[in-house]
Amino acid sequence: MRIPTPVITLIAGVALFAGLLAASVHQVSGRKAALAAVAASAGTTTTASATVPPAAGPSATTLSPPAPPAVTLSPSAPPTVSRGFVVPPHANYVGKVQGNLGSVAVVVHDTFAIAYFCNGSTQEAWLKGTPHDGKLSMTGKNHATLTANYALGHARGTVVVDGISHVFSIIAVHRPSGLFQSIAVVRGATVKAGWIVLADGTQVGSLEPDSASADPAAQTAPKLDLSTLTAQDGSTTLHATPIDAETGSGF
Amino acid sequence: MAAQFEPPAPTRLDPVQPAASAGLLVVPALAGCLVALTLGIYGRLHSPTGVAVDIAGFSSPGTVKAWLASAAVVFALVQVGSSLVMYGKVPRIAAPSWIGSLHRWSGRIAFILTVPVVVHCLYALGFQAYDARVLVHSIAGCLFFGTFTVKMLSLTRRGMPGWVLPVLGGAVFALLVLLWFTSAFWFFSVFGVRR
Repeated sequence: MRIPTPVITLIAGVALFAGLLAASVHQVSGRKAALAAVAASAGTTTTASATVPPAAGPSATTLSPPAPPAVTLSPSAPPTVSRGFVVPPHANYVGKVQGNLGSVAVVVHDTFAIAYFCNGSTQEAWLKGTPHDGKLSMTGKNHATLTANYALGHARGTVVVDGISHVFSIIAVHRPSGLFQSIAVVRGATVKAGWIVLADGTQVGSLEPDSASADPAAQTAPKLDLSTLTAQDGSTTLHATPIDAETGSGF
Repeated sequence: MAAQFEPPAPTRLDPVQPAASAGLLVVPALAGCLVALTLGIYGRLHSPTGVAVDIAGFSSPGTVKAWLASAAVVFALVQVGSSLVMYGKVPRIAAPSWIGSLHRWSGRIAFILTVPVVVHCLYALGFQAYDARVLVHSIAGCLFFGTFTVKMLSLTRRGMPGWVLPVLGGAVFALLVLLWFTSAFWFFSVFGVRR
């Protein structure tokens, strides 16, 4: 029986869908397996064991389903498997906190993590800490704290800023979403601004006009132009750098 | 005077035609519903991973999808244009012999271009409802593939009422444009038109 051509079109679509889905599952689980395999050989810090040649660029990986995925491993901090989850050495997480009272960004890069909470106006804090075994315990000025568990794809925890505690459950993101920072000295004062670009493209940003003080005040940051990474603060042009775990920028 | 009645003219027996029946749409419609529901339920139950298979040459998965979706819309416009010519709706342009091929092939290419996009959307992002844009996109995505299935299957049957193909084709096109506006258009306007 001759198959009608529209049915062939549908079959071709379904086959392509299934193939790409299988490739996605393979690549994601392969990445997890590669990280887990290296973690299992505890303490070794080689990049050779479960990998093929690293990715050509920060976010361009060629489509090759049969080959194991390319994983760039840092020589300084081996990834671990903790509580059944695979813990990546590098990750960017952003998202809104519960109750939508602000947003938080957490960037983990080997042995250092930077986090930023901001509500787009006066409530914000920069935090830093050392990641350990998929857990973060970070501190910032004015008794700001952040504790979280993070794994491949998501992070969950609590951030306390200005005495208010916010619970969050956020996802891993890639450029162009993420965390951005600019530091400039304007007429003797250190102006520090931070922007969180969420997965849906909206941005929240705050700016400290006198960042060197013990309890810096904050205000809404001017909008960050994502194509030039600049923002206009009155007559000053702020140049933002991404704090990006995948490229190591900002660390 | 008795009228002379001629024997009535013999009735012409036309070959028996089955009545054009919209009922022939039932099976394709059920198949389409099955496709739409499967995509929606999978998208809802599967935990989005944030990542899927990558394609070289683009700066991020978002740009890959935005450009593929835009290319699909271009081919869909060719679809609509060629269908208007096929139905004789364009003044002063008669349908050339290759218009049917153009219509079919532009449709196949547009459809195939959307498949990598939907795989990434479902696998990495899932069926989301956190704001109006993503909810509309998620629903439209399921409906698009369901309606496309109905259109493809209805092409295999004769005897459909004349309105079926234009309505289905128009619905597929409208859904694709809605999908494009809630994704690629939004992406380019937020992040800039970039590779």
